Amino acid sequence: MPDNEFYAPDDTDLLRMENELLAFEVRFLKGRLGQPAKIPGSSTSLNRLAYLEEAERDLGLLLRRLLGSPLGPLLRRSKSFRTLEQKYLHSPRLQGSSSRERLAYLEEAERDLILLLRRMSSKPFGSVLRRRKAFRTLQQRYL
Amino acid sequence: MLVYAGRFADRVSSAKLPNGCEVLSEWDVLPFHLAALERATTLVVLDPFSFPFESMTEMQWDVPLVVILPSGFDASFLSAVFDEAVLGRLGLFDRVATADRDLWEELRLRYRWVGSQRIELHCDLPDEAAAEICGRLEEEAAKPISPGEDYETVRYWKERGDALATWVPQRAIHVSHHDPAFDKAVFRVQSKALGPQFAAARGARDEDVPFEALEVGVGVGRWASKLDPANTRFTGLDVSGGMIRAARADFPEGRFDLLEEDLVFPYADESFDLAFTVSVLHHNPASAKRTLVSEMWRVTRPGGRLMFLEDFVSEKRTPGSTIYPMSISGFVDLVLEATAGRVVLEHLEALRYPHDPFFRGGLLSLSKVGTPRTW
Repeated sequence: MPDNEFYAPDDTDLLRMENELLAFEVRFLKGRLGQPAKIPGSSTSLNRLAYLEEAERDLGLLLRRLLGSPLGPLLRRSKSFRTLEQKYLHSPRLQGSSSRERLAYLEEAERDLILLLRRMSSKPFGSVLRRRKAFRTLQQRYL
Repeated sequence: MLVYAGRFADRVSSAKLPNGCEVLSEWDVLPFHLAALERATTLVVLDPFSFPFESMTEMQWDVPLVVILPSGFDASFLSAVFDEAVLGRLGLFDRVATADRDLWEELRLRYRWVGSQRIELHCDLPDEAAAEICGRLEEEAAKPISPGEDYETVRYWKERGDALATWVPQRAIHVSHHDPAFDKAVFRVQSKALGPQFAAARGARDEDVPFEALEVGVGVGRWASKLDPANTRFTGLDVSGGMIRAARADFPEGRFDLLEEDLVFPYADESFDLAFTVSVLHHNPASAKRTLVSEMWRVTRPGGRLMFLEDFVSEKRTPGSTIYPMSISGFVDLVLEATAGRVVLEHLEALRYPHDPFFRGGLLSLSKVGTPRTW
């Protein structure tokens, strides 16, 4: 083959789009195999997003249940608990925001839920909470 | 256009056929010559008894065929000779030419052909039949409308569909710069990808449990032929009234409705188990895409599927181009926004069409998350 017949891509936009499509497919296939596949710059998989939405809902439910329990007034004395309450129960939800902002919010909710569950598990009443099936389910899912 | 005249080659002269038609004899289709078929836009088989169908490769089958049924033989005889190897392989992009209405009807029912696949001949003589078919195909090829400089999605597809509906509905599938051979090949690749996903969407439900499927941008209803009417209630939506009439005529067991210009579906929430669209969204601007995706999500039952088979590698080269480019990431963001993230990705597949240097197509299958409002 003469030198000037080497394949030379001349349309970078199309190549970028094809690369994005194939990278997305690889990411999906890896996800199906249970392997983590982080690709910088590409969007979050829909499975992951559904998981994060569920984590946010679980965090809201957990906070409401804790506030409604006899321990509620005691927990409210803690500044970090009041922050969680303000952020996830009283602030408007970010439904209308851009997908990037919404994703950041959901990821933060997941982190907060994990921290809260860890703290609840380690306290003296962790062993009492573990007797409850709902608490064990949350532990299993997020810890 | 190639015309295989076989044993009648001496009676069929290319001089009597439109320009660009090439006549082939029995010697021209020896297996090592068959590669020449791949450059044809259509292959007219005047003498099916002597044509080596069994030697054709998958790529050669991508060329749309017009098969003239030999006169003087009944349906049972023709089925015994050709059956699934030939007649069973003739799909929506292929045509069957015959003057015998009863023969056509009997074979149509047996091989699930549709009415618009028939070319009604007015004579039995090979040379006259060849001239009649080639003349008609040439007229059909001249028919498709190209968008002007001011391409406006709904108006263009409505006018184009209406104009082609009564004359040659299949041409409405073709984008103006593609030939029928390319579109048949695309359909083959897309069918291979969609078939398993249709089965997955149906799941393990019993055969007698009806499966409700909706196609958005149904056109002539080409995908209705891929879902078994015995266990599927097929519904199609299109902006062209002409296309709706053509689809109703070809698939009487399906339901076909007109999509108004506001793009709001005339169905109640959670009416379908599957809502899908093929090569429609990338012809629409972002606002229309969002409305269509949102409507598809609305009419799908929780646990049901949404499928999108679109081009994710394209660009708008001219103002009159029918393409509104979208990347896969951009589209996923749009789906998440239109559905508020209440979907789960079940399947993703990149598709490469024949003779295309790019993996251009992408099939996404999503499950709708949620609790049914009614049980």
